[in-house]
Amino acid sequence: MTQGTLAPEARSLLDTASMTDPIISARPRAYYAAMRRHDPVHWDEKLGMYLVSRYEDIATIQQDPITYSVNKGYHSQQAKGFQQEFQQILEREGGGYFPDAIMSDPPYHTRIRKLMEKAFSAHRVKALEPRITKVVTDLIDSVADRGEADAVQDFAVPLTVRIICEQLGLDWNMKDRIARWSIAVTAQIGRMQDREQMLGHAREICDLQHYLIAKMREREADPREDMISDLVHARDAEGQALSFAEAVSLIRALLIAGNETTATALGNLFYILATRPEIATLLQASVDDDRLMNRFVEELLRIEPPVRGLSRMTTREVELGGRTLPAGAHLLLMYASANDQEDVFADPRRFDLDRPNIGRHLSFGGGVHRCIGLALARMEIKVAAREIVRRIGDIQLAIPPEEIRYLPTVATQSIERLPIRFTRRG
Amino acid sequence: MVRVTFVDVHGVEQAVAGEGDLSLMELAKANGIDGIAADCGGACSCATCLVHVDPAWVDRTGAPDDIEYAMLDMVSDVAGDTSRLACQIRLTPTLDGLRVVVAQQ
Repeated sequence: MTQGTLAPEARSLLDTASMTDPIISARPRAYYAAMRRHDPVHWDEKLGMYLVSRYEDIATIQQDPITYSVNKGYHSQQAKGFQQEFQQILEREGGGYFPDAIMSDPPYHTRIRKLMEKAFSAHRVKALEPRITKVVTDLIDSVADRGEADAVQDFAVPLTVRIICEQLGLDWNMKDRIARWSIAVTAQIGRMQDREQMLGHAREICDLQHYLIAKMREREADPREDMISDLVHARDAEGQALSFAEAVSLIRALLIAGNETTATALGNLFYILATRPEIATLLQASVDDDRLMNRFVEELLRIEPPVRGLSRMTTREVELGGRTLPAGAHLLLMYASANDQEDVFADPRRFDLDRPNIGRHLSFGGGVHRCIGLALARMEIKVAAREIVRRIGDIQLAIPPEEIRYLPTVATQSIERLPIRFTRRG
Repeated sequence: MVRVTFVDVHGVEQAVAGEGDLSLMELAKANGIDGIAADCGGACSCATCLVHVDPAWVDRTGAPDDIEYAMLDMVSDVAGDTSRLACQIRLTPTLDGLRVVVAQQ
């Protein structure tokens, strides 16, 4: 379906571009804009999915989790092209293939979600802030005198791994393995791995599951103050425990979901500080202004959303964005595009801390599947922003912006490495 | 038993009542009040259970704390002076007769 007059560039993008093309995937905004304007539910032939690019259509999907199934959307996306082989490897060598219990549909999803929610309230997260501040400041201080660093590999990745280790009660010396596991799990919904890469990732996931299962056994026998203990001992309103398969999948999700995405957000934080010095200056002058810091985090998430596309599958024929979708249509919800929609966010490429609707971005999704760790993510980003601008200044990219590379995945837009230069402050 | 009148997003008044340790959001969800989504399940993290408290009741519902205020501030396109997140209001007997208008989102 096509609306309005098509500029030749937009026509060419809609006819030939794909989210699986590394060049488009790294710099997708023109593609998003062409879709939003001319073909809001756009068939991406190479990906084999409909790209849903408009805010209102994504909102419609989020309000109807039965018609638009996360269970089918996510599990059809997982290891696509190698699904059977992937599941067999996990069954044979990884202790089992455990579908993601949280990537499910109501009413089953409601029970799982309720069990997870208690751990993540904004008030509980607030209580974690002093401990997380200490982790952040230690890490910044360890690189502050060097004058240069890779903001992703030296800061964002180790920071989020460290925090998730504390939350789950895992050993910090696992950090390299956890970083590899995160890549391996997220690559399964990224749609850009070849068979050889899938085999490597599947082996990492086997290693991850064996590690987690052993930890779960320890915590079953000897509970501690951590989320693994909470989950293996959790009981729902009827007094039912999680099944073993559910518990493995949820602990795996906690370890991975909050890790790579938050690391991506922290990489984006450095990118903004390095490329928009006026924002860095404003933050330096405003570290004690909690309202401004909160708004900064929201606008950062809107303008550079870590998760740009997650999937759904229709369970019946349905009309969306002027198109009739059959049952079984596989959709990718393009949050990054919706965040750029001009009639929702005026002058969307402007970093504007005064937006009255600053919290309406779709970077955490919405509806019953809205990111469960959002309060923790916001707090980590806020603490990092505050402590970074306090401790280092004159942050600059050490490579030209066009040389920035991204992880090969349609699900997130994650900077792979971000070499920066800076000076120590104070 | 605490009785509450919601004016839902369609402007329709709905008189409901609840018992026990409930939040205003939980009461709304239990009665299917349109416009109360409560995506985050009561974690004070999403601002999808926004209500405007009738000015006559503001003293009894009280003011938002810092964490709730931060959420209200992010939806200031629809939040006003008497806005609260329904998940952060506990239904105590002193709120019997409360009246709130569900925010348009």
